[in-house]
Amino acid sequence: MLDDVIKAYNEAVLDTDRAGALQVVSDAVIRGVSPEDIVFKVVIPGLDLMVKAISEGFDTNLAQHFMTSQIAADVTEKMLVLFKAPPQILGRVIIGTAAGDLHTLGKRIVIGCLKAQMIDVTDLGVNVPAEKFVNEAVARDAQVIGVSAMMVHTARGENGAVKVRKLLKEQGLEHKIKLVVGGAPFRFDPELYKVVGADAWAENGVSAYKAIIDCIQEVKQHGH
Amino acid sequence: MVTSLDRLIAAANGKIIDHIPVFCNLLDQGARELGISIEAYFADGEQVAEAQLRMLEKFGHDNVWSLFYVGKEAELFGCKKIRYADDGPPNVEDYIIQSYDDIKKLNVPDDISSHPKFAETAKCLAILKREVGGKVPICAYLTASMSLPALLMSMEKWMELLMMGPTDMRDLLLEKCSDFFRKEIDAYRKAGADVLVYADPYGSTDIIPMKLFKELSLKWMKRDLEQGGSNGVVYYGGGARLNGVLEQVIREMDIQVYYPSPLEDIGEIMRTINGRALCAGVINDIRLLDWAPDEVRAEVRRIVQDGLREGNKFFFGTVLMPYGIPDANIKAMVDAAKEFGRWPDSGR
Repeated sequence: MLDDVIKAYNEAVLDTDRAGALQVVSDAVIRGVSPEDIVFKVVIPGLDLMVKAISEGFDTNLAQHFMTSQIAADVTEKMLVLFKAPPQILGRVIIGTAAGDLHTLGKRIVIGCLKAQMIDVTDLGVNVPAEKFVNEAVARDAQVIGVSAMMVHTARGENGAVKVRKLLKEQGLEHKIKLVVGGAPFRFDPELYKVVGADAWAENGVSAYKAIIDCIQEVKQHGH
Repeated sequence: MVTSLDRLIAAANGKIIDHIPVFCNLLDQGARELGISIEAYFADGEQVAEAQLRMLEKFGHDNVWSLFYVGKEAELFGCKKIRYADDGPPNVEDYIIQSYDDIKKLNVPDDISSHPKFAETAKCLAILKREVGGKVPICAYLTASMSLPALLMSMEKWMELLMMGPTDMRDLLLEKCSDFFRKEIDAYRKAGADVLVYADPYGSTDIIPMKLFKELSLKWMKRDLEQGGSNGVVYYGGGARLNGVLEQVIREMDIQVYYPSPLEDIGEIMRTINGRALCAGVINDIRLLDWAPDEVRAEVRRIVQDGLREGNKFFFGTVLMPYGIPDANIKAMVDAAKEFGRWPDSGR
């Protein structure tokens, strides 16, 4: 039965059919599939499938990424309240757009996917000063700071990721907090993440959770 | 003497007079040229025109721009707050649509030409027309009805409405944006713009699924352009790829010029167009921030030769050049495009 649910859910997601995906999940729960299985065996593998499709060059589009994230977050939120025990949190992430940047779509896609992965996300909103990224990450014991920037000057500028890196270095936090960046300029220049001092980047909002999970695990492996 | 407009008309007819047209989209750089802040620069249409003419003289490319910044269109709808940067383009800070109710209240201006927020653009265009009209293509940037909502309510909220919201609100907004577009293109034509860049990221299957492209983008594209026609119109995906929709747009629209993404294979695009329209070979201009002039030259050579190998209905272009690109790289790019795009030894 679970195989049918997975197939129907993935088809609905690829077709950006939110109502259809929610119906598949609702029917599955009625038929006895556990909320835990919905999240860990349907939703999360569904995200992995989308990332795989993107990485293998299948034509996907921003609307699909948006709906994949939206559906995953919606289903996860509905299922979490039905869990027998609260799930283990994989890690903590602070996210926002770079200073001077007001574009929110990419950030929203990333947040939806992270929530479905059991990652605790704090959204600092738009036009976030570098100091706030670092202070909040310290206060919330986050392993990753995610900086989204859609414009060249906010991606490369001194007050964005570059300053976050500088502060992490000055405060001796580089081994405890990793910096991940994303946004159009990074797609047009795949080496740019290094120029701004980030540890990792993602080509799109859906794939970002992979880079972020890798960073969380790296921090945890080093004992923090 | 051959003019830039002669070159463009020749290219549209599959001919090269001396070299291919070289479009270099310099906007914020005008402030640097005049030694003033970006905010002060865009406050005055005379300054924008003066800088466009100075940069034309300095770099020797084949076009000038009447675009100040993309958020100007939101200002025509009533946006009150633009966020300026020291080193990049101004952005919309106050989205005038905050709720679906605001869509109902949204007013399309009666007349764009006489709109106070169009006054500086009109001033700029009048100067450009007087100084280089009929000799150098004067470009205008117009956002398609399918993409304009992103400037009025943010990309996030437009995506939400498009994919999950009430269709009556979506269609009402698109109708208002299309009404606006028709008036805007008319105003730009009357003011002297002759190259009308039709910017439609939501007309690319990088952004929306093919199903929506067919159901919405194509439908609204037709409505946008049916009244004023597509003379001088350039189809541009705002950096998004065009190849997925190119065949359909060519077949169903009368658009004669295409401006693909720098991330697309220009040879493949030219083969898809197959001589039916003029096409730009676009450089990934963000890289010009870091490349040395020799690297710029090599990349321009690759693009121009790959394009011309497939036919002469071809010109060279940039995206919206980032502010920090050194002058030496702009010069190297323009010079290389002229050199490798010259007739008759253009590398074919």
